Amino acid sequence: MIEIFYIITQILFILVIFSLPVFLVDEKYYAKSIKFTFIDKLSINLIFFINILFFASIFNVKLNLILYGYCFLIIILSCINPKKINFSKIKIDYLFLLLFLFIFLISIDIADQIYFGWDTKTNWIFKTLNFYQGQKIENLSQFNFTDYPHLGSFLWSFFWKFPHDTYEYLGRIFFVFIYLLSIISFSNCLKVEVFEKIIFSILLISLTYSYAIFSGLQDVLIFSAILFFARISYLIFDKKNNFGDFALILILIGIINILCWFKNEGVFYSLFLLFSLLTTYKFSKSCKLYLILGSAFIFLLRIFLFNHYNLELNPSYFEMDKTISLDFSLILYKLKTITFYIIIYLTQNPVYVISLPLLVYLIYKYSVKNLTGFILYFLILNFIFIYLTYMFKMTEVELLTKASMSRVIFQTSGLYFLVIIIYINNYIKLFKK
Amino acid sequence: MNKKIKKNLSILLISFLTLIFIYNQNLFRKVYNIINLTYEDRISQVSGFCSKDSVGYLTYLKKKFNFNFNPEVYNYEDSVPSSNWPIYDNSLKNDSKHKILLNYPGQIELVFYPQENNFYTKNTINYGEELSEIYFDLKVSSMNINSNLTIYTKSYGTNKKEIIYNKPFNKLVKNHQRIKFPHNTLKVKSMINKTIFLDIANFEKNKINNIKIVIKNKFDINELEILDSYNRQCYYVK
Repeated sequence: MIEIFYIITQILFILVIFSLPVFLVDEKYYAKSIKFTFIDKLSINLIFFINILFFASIFNVKLNLILYGYCFLIIILSCINPKKINFSKIKIDYLFLLLFLFIFLISIDIADQIYFGWDTKTNWIFKTLNFYQGQKIENLSQFNFTDYPHLGSFLWSFFWKFPHDTYEYLGRIFFVFIYLLSIISFSNCLKVEVFEKIIFSILLISLTYSYAIFSGLQDVLIFSAILFFARISYLIFDKKNNFGDFALILILIGIINILCWFKNEGVFYSLFLLFSLLTTYKFSKSCKLYLILGSAFIFLLRIFLFNHYNLELNPSYFEMDKTISLDFSLILYKLKTITFYIIIYLTQNPVYVISLPLLVYLIYKYSVKNLTGFILYFLILNFIFIYLTYMFKMTEVELLTKASMSRVIFQTSGLYFLVIIIYINNYIKLFKK
Repeated sequence: MNKKIKKNLSILLISFLTLIFIYNQNLFRKVYNIINLTYEDRISQVSGFCSKDSVGYLTYLKKKFNFNFNPEVYNYEDSVPSSNWPIYDNSLKNDSKHKILLNYPGQIELVFYPQENNFYTKNTINYGEELSEIYFDLKVSSMNINSNLTIYTKSYGTNKKEIIYNKPFNKLVKNHQRIKFPHNTLKVKSMINKTIFLDIANFEKNKINNIKIVIKNKFDINELEILDSYNRQCYYVK
């Protein structure tokens, strides 16, 4: 029974941490031109908080100091805005209740199944233990896979440590929170009533949830970050041309930063998202500049830190010299193998099964423009990336595809939910006419 | 549609979908497990006490010995990585003298069965040091072999051979007669899910039931001091 108590208090701890600033920070600081929902504000706080944790991790700030600092910030905000703390004005947010309910349900599943994925046992858990046991970021160099980023593990260790400091799976509940918040926040793209958004969210959860994504692997974090990006992109596209809200640009840069530090492929996904957004949406010149400069700073920081800690890409993963030698029969074999497994894993992922035919239909019916173009460009770049990644591996391509391709395909699947959103919103528009 | 009816229908559908989710994930049973089983029991159930990852045995050792160093962990089970995460402590030094051997097989034996052009085995040679002995389960009393004996795996999805052993084998072999290998060292790359093949050219496969190869274990339990053991499969030694 004590573990159920731990799970509930862990969830409350996470929700309180991210909800309090929503009440304390003035509406105008979120965005000038857009009215965010409560769930959207939670997402923005989350992106803000993860970025703080990232900088705390690279400056070796101790975990308890981060928590004290955050509490201090909340107290300062409460002192500045004492009138904002008025619980009688709080309305029931059904999406928030859904969030709480499903975090609890999925946490039960995690607490029972517990086991780790292969990569978790050999890599992620050691990075997590490093921070959990109070070691510095420099200490990560003694483990395997030094080229893998550490942000996901740092988050895991933080919420393992607080508030209970007992079972490791309590830290993974934070991953559940990120996953569910991204889905529920994304459902706000639908222009329907709240109960229909809830139905949509539950369907998306049912389509994408399996224990394996919470077995300590970090793919679900990439999935959620891309979903947050999709939500903000949708808001931008919804505002039509020459949108110039600096707050949203800052949020996008925040998402790009955390994407780069969850997994290495996140750097490429960031580039693809950025390219697709910049080519399909007419930003004002200043916004475009902020977005490009902000992202450039993030990529340079990534390279700087990589060099600073003397990290090198694992040479056994890519075999560039052999790949460039152009053995035609081998290239053909690899193309055949990758194509075969892409088809297999795409058909096993219900998100693609639903969204890809819908995307084809949308392109056929309405031509490639705006949001459809954004999705299509990302899809093309994503598939080129998948092919190139596996092509650069000279031997054992089949083993690698079998072990990882379903996860790679899952990582980006969230963005294609946008197709379903476009379709439903168009349908509702027609229905109302 | 009336707004109230629409709302009620939505609530009904939400409840239905949530119940389906709970049912599909078997969550009532899982709540029962969490309440009635300890964390250690549950993790031993899914990751094995002295099987698979053997997380149960590792946590048991951690409690019993309260290590002030990090022992080395060797898991002979092929389908899981050797991971010492349940006992690993960053603030402690690694100690290669103290070893934990999980799923220890004692004698490592490969049984090769005939297929079209060669023999194959699904057994693994994790932590094997050298090929020790070979013996043939024959359908006849003896047979003469004058050929190269090649043991190899294949790169996944290709026909590229990774040679483990390749030397001449010229002998009259009797049924179940144990024949010692000349001195050799096993150099094996990652063996995850790989089949091992054995080739002997120009000889009558239809006269052989199977071929067994005994491999010398890198860790001989008889030469080590046993500090703890479980079920003759998991050992803490130095």
